[in-house]
Amino acid sequence: MEMNLGYRDSVGTGTGAARKGRGFWPVYLCFLVFGAIVPFTRAEVRMTTALMSMSIALVVGWLAVNLLVMLLNAANRPLEESHRGFAREAVLTGMLFMIPFTVLAVLARFGLGWNAVMPFASAAIMTAAATAGTEVMKNGAAGIKNVMIPSFLAFVLSTGWMMLVGILP
Amino acid sequence: MDTTATVVVPRWKTALNMIINPGEVVKTQMGRVPWPYSLAVSGLSFTLFFMQTGLDLLRSGGIEASGVVLMTMLGLFYGTAGVALLAVMVWALAQAGERNITMGWSISAFALGYSATLVYALTGLLFSLAFGWKTAVAFGVTGVLWALRPTLFTIKQMSGERVAFSIALTTMCGALLLVGWSLLGKFGG
Repeated sequence: MEMNLGYRDSVGTGTGAARKGRGFWPVYLCFLVFGAIVPFTRAEVRMTTALMSMSIALVVGWLAVNLLVMLLNAANRPLEESHRGFAREAVLTGMLFMIPFTVLAVLARFGLGWNAVMPFASAAIMTAAATAGTEVMKNGAAGIKNVMIPSFLAFVLSTGWMMLVGILP
Repeated sequence: MDTTATVVVPRWKTALNMIINPGEVVKTQMGRVPWPYSLAVSGLSFTLFFMQTGLDLLRSGGIEASGVVLMTMLGLFYGTAGVALLAVMVWALAQAGERNITMGWSISAFALGYSATLVYALTGLLFSLAFGWKTAVAFGVTGVLWALRPTLFTIKQMSGERVAFSIALTTMCGALLLVGWSLLGKFGG
């Protein structure tokens, strides 16, 4: 019996039926978890802080996903014409790489008792965005711009996110 | 004119490329990097990281100067034997041998992934010594987190592009490293 557990599809191209119907919910869940941990890094856990933090995290997540798709499409017009939906697919695969950082942030806060969550969030968003760029390049897009643009966007978003978390009540 | 001649990338450049474009490095350049070189990178990274942990503890009065030396030695052990052991474990779990990936390649790719940790550790040490800041978590842990991307690509390559498997194993590796650092920090302190 052939073991295909965890493979993208039987040939590993990432374009097979296994990918159809996959949504961005694991990505938004990661952002939500980051938002939910933030209040636990404060001296006092407040419901208002939790709600605001989770809302901010979801907005950042929504912006990250949609701006990445938009920018990667804009930067690779010819590829968009020949391979419709390539950017969405690449962003989906790339953003899945937020999962290890999210799990480690939970472990760090609740297992090891550390108060640092945003370094995990920042590394997560930067890594995921750069990986999305790499995925686009795998589809045939040329140029380091496909890594630089997502990295710059992730830098801006993560900096903004950290500043917003800093001013939370 | 020989147009087939391959361009030899210097090893230090390969180490830096591992931070910027690990996917490309593990696919095309890792075969030319011997594992002792890579282990020197990860060994130095963790040595400096653990040294900062020791310095932080020294400043808070948790340990004495001899404790800092012990922590530094633990870092060297962690960055060489620990990382090599982790690489061998992942090599076995990913059944990478079936894809003609050697144990040496696995150790080399894993260890060179800590180039980013080395950059963070060097910067952190600079701030620690120059300004007396506590840098172990801010720079050290962040550096270890930045090594997760090369780790991911290494495991992806070793496992035959299995995304879910790579994510799960990278999470496990990151958790083992952070928990290990935390426990060794207590032991050293």
